[in-house]
Amino acid sequence: MADSMPQDAHPDAAKLEGMAHTDQYGFHLSENYAFRSEKGLSRRVVEQISYHKNEPAWMLQFRLRALEIAEKKGRPKWGPDLSHLNFDEIYFYIRPQDKKGTNSWDDVPEEVRETYRRLGIPEAEQKMLAGVGAQYESEMVYHNLKEVWERKGVIFLDSDTGLQQHPELFKEHFATVIPPEDNYFAAVNSAVWSGGSFVYVPAGVEIDVPLQAYFLINAQSMGQFERTLIIAEPGSKFHYIEGCTAPTYNSDSFHSGVIEIIVKERANVRYSTIQNWSHNVYNLVTQRAIVHRRASMGWLDGNLGSKVTMKYPSTYLVGEGAHGEVLSIAFATDGQHQDAGAKVIHAAPNTTSSVVSKSISKGTGRSSYRGLVQIHDGATNARSNVECDALLLDDKAKTDTYPYIEINEKTAHVGHEATVSKLNDEQIFYLQSRGLPADAAMALIVRGFLDPVAKELPLEYAVELNRLIELEMEGSVG
Amino acid sequence: MAALKENAAVSAAAVEALVDRFGEPQWLADERRAALRTYAATPFPTNRDEVWRYTQLERFAIDGLDLVEGPRDDAVVDRVAMRIADSDAEAALVIKNGEVVRRAGHVGQGGVVFTDLRTAVRDHEALVREHLYSVVNATMSKAAALDAALWTNGTFLYVPRDVEVALPLGTFTTADRGGLSAGRTLIVVDVNARVTFLDEYTSEPIGERLAHHAATEIVLKDGAKLRYVSLQNWSRDAMQQNKIRARLGRDARLESLTVSLGGDAARAEVEVRLEGPGAESEMLGLYFADEGQHFNQYTVQHHATDHGLSDLLFKGALRDASTAVYSGVIVVDPGAQKTDAYQTNRNLLLDGESEVVSIPQLEIGANDVKCSHGSTSGPVPEDQRFYLMSRGLRPEVAEHVLVTGFLYEVTSRVTLPKVSQYVERVVQAKLGVPGVKEKL
Repeated sequence: MADSMPQDAHPDAAKLEGMAHTDQYGFHLSENYAFRSEKGLSRRVVEQISYHKNEPAWMLQFRLRALEIAEKKGRPKWGPDLSHLNFDEIYFYIRPQDKKGTNSWDDVPEEVRETYRRLGIPEAEQKMLAGVGAQYESEMVYHNLKEVWERKGVIFLDSDTGLQQHPELFKEHFATVIPPEDNYFAAVNSAVWSGGSFVYVPAGVEIDVPLQAYFLINAQSMGQFERTLIIAEPGSKFHYIEGCTAPTYNSDSFHSGVIEIIVKERANVRYSTIQNWSHNVYNLVTQRAIVHRRASMGWLDGNLGSKVTMKYPSTYLVGEGAHGEVLSIAFATDGQHQDAGAKVIHAAPNTTSSVVSKSISKGTGRSSYRGLVQIHDGATNARSNVECDALLLDDKAKTDTYPYIEINEKTAHVGHEATVSKLNDEQIFYLQSRGLPADAAMALIVRGFLDPVAKELPLEYAVELNRLIELEMEGSVG
Repeated sequence: MAALKENAAVSAAAVEALVDRFGEPQWLADERRAALRTYAATPFPTNRDEVWRYTQLERFAIDGLDLVEGPRDDAVVDRVAMRIADSDAEAALVIKNGEVVRRAGHVGQGGVVFTDLRTAVRDHEALVREHLYSVVNATMSKAAALDAALWTNGTFLYVPRDVEVALPLGTFTTADRGGLSAGRTLIVVDVNARVTFLDEYTSEPIGERLAHHAATEIVLKDGAKLRYVSLQNWSRDAMQQNKIRARLGRDARLESLTVSLGGDAARAEVEVRLEGPGAESEMLGLYFADEGQHFNQYTVQHHATDHGLSDLLFKGALRDASTAVYSGVIVVDPGAQKTDAYQTNRNLLLDGESEVVSIPQLEIGANDVKCSHGSTSGPVPEDQRFYLMSRGLRPEVAEHVLVTGFLYEVTSRVTLPKVSQYVERVVQAKLGVPGVKEKL
């Protein structure tokens, strides 16, 4: 298992740790594409995308309708500054020349593997990662689905292939959780979506090893609009993991995904994502789960990279006894604005939810928690608890908390708490007196702060997270 | 939701009529005219504006109402007279539809000015001119602009340097006529001075709709200390919008209490700005909505400089299909190090038809701070009710005890026992506790 891999197996690890954090991803690989759309968002671009993907007519109609909705809606007037995000400079679709359907590690493009290596994922571990679906550019290029799952009827494809191979299943659930009317960026995604995962787990099937997909973007000014659709049939249980990293570029990049999850009765789904986009990416994502009777949905949302992130995983508890959980971590360093949070809608009796958010702001970084807890009339005995802790490392760092709580039910118990603090000087002093250098002491305290969330991660992610924090904290003694 | 509509009575002619009627000086006339221009240029809020998102706007409508010219008569009804008697006030003003109908007592300490605003403009023009509109001005909101242009009267309180006024002073704003009205309170507490002030709004049923706008400006200079109570208990045919804003100098301290009990709808915006190091602000709030009342509480704790302390506790209970919004934000400016800021909102829902929204927010721009906020909402705890019933209390009595106990966390922190007792009495009357009437 990946868990048992020695962490120093990666040949570049020493080199990587020696790099200043600003140089961490200061490389990018050559561009190599078969087709890319013209820049900007237009009817013509949408039609081109649909044509290239050889889609059914209903999908083209859907895309065009979404484009109209986006044009009508306009961008949100709240939240982070998006004024530098210029659609006219963005390619909304690029198809890599690599062929589809590669199914062994050797067929994965060298560039992708190179990026993995530079990220410090040990080589042995890369091969051990079960069921990796790596998304390169706007399309899934690699899938390795364990045979045992296939026999159980599990579908784990990229969304384009999912649409081609399972048109009925796809059409039945697609855009039922997040219609294009939902918000501006969901509408944009609906118009130009490409790639993402299509996951279907039949009733009663439990998957022990997490389903994983890596996302990468690797072209200047290229947007990425993955569309993930996850269907958990009654009584199924699995963990889906998505992580993404991207090399640094000169001009702004744009990522806007839509993640739809349907958790049917008594199913149990966890969705974990850690994003570490390069610091020029606008990461504006809509993710939502509909949770039915006695089912459970857990989100783990880690936001480390990007220039601006707006992401509020939401959970609609629509069946009696449904449960939702969100663990959120955000790390904002110089120039970053992490506007993350969680939404939980209690629309049925005896539903429960818990949100834990931990954020760290460093340098001129700004992290915000923006959340909503809504208890509908008739959702009797609903319980919800939200905790937000923010850590400020510098005097220029900022943090905000905007939790909305709307209650229309007498028997609801809803609590919210938030604290803001700085690094404790006494703790640092103590650790220094035990021989730790100041930056190592700070890193240790930060890791301790994040521990309640980090321990919920699969080990390889936790290790990666810890390594990232160490890199961030290097030379941060002021 | 219906959009708010303009009221033709809010006009340049109305402003000129006020200026003529009160014989106001040029500077004030100019301020009013400028405020009216700002009013005209400011659109009404809609539910798309964040701070009005949960407000039932139509309940704050002003269209179709005439401007209130004055009271029907100058009688001071028992309800108000008893409040004066019961408040321990050393001196009190009763302002009825913009006219002073009673001046009770007088302030013993030399140099203290406590009078109605219209008189103050005449007798203490320089002081008023220096401070009026310096804390709440027309640019802050449509309602603030309306008030700045058309206020007819209000309170002016000035406490000179080093003077301590031992007993409370109070203004009782009341009405016997409906319409569109606007009043204003201006409190200036000079260096190291101390005072307690009660701003109460109350009336017998008026019989026609009153839309009252209030603006409260508080200036606390270095080391000044003020206890300020804003107590809204209008009859159910009134609505009120009140913007209370305070600026605190070095080591100044404000202890405020904002209470909403009466009216059909009421909105209180309470903002403190800590401008001098070491300033402190304790902000208490209490609301109890019943019979479909709609209350909005918006608070701002703005730490503009270092070493400030603010501690806010707003608690509310709701029943009979009522609605309430609490939204508050702690803002810590960059450089405002060593700030301590706390914010707590707790709500008790006594029936399933009521609805509460709680939005406690933080915007923190400095790192060496202690900030936290908390919010809870829920029903009367079943185990506590059960315990009380096991001791022989009837269910409704148990509920009375628990609601009173819930609000006691606020009332017990008010350092004015007479005010706490009155608030508790009104709450009990609303709960229908047998034998308790609001005015004893």
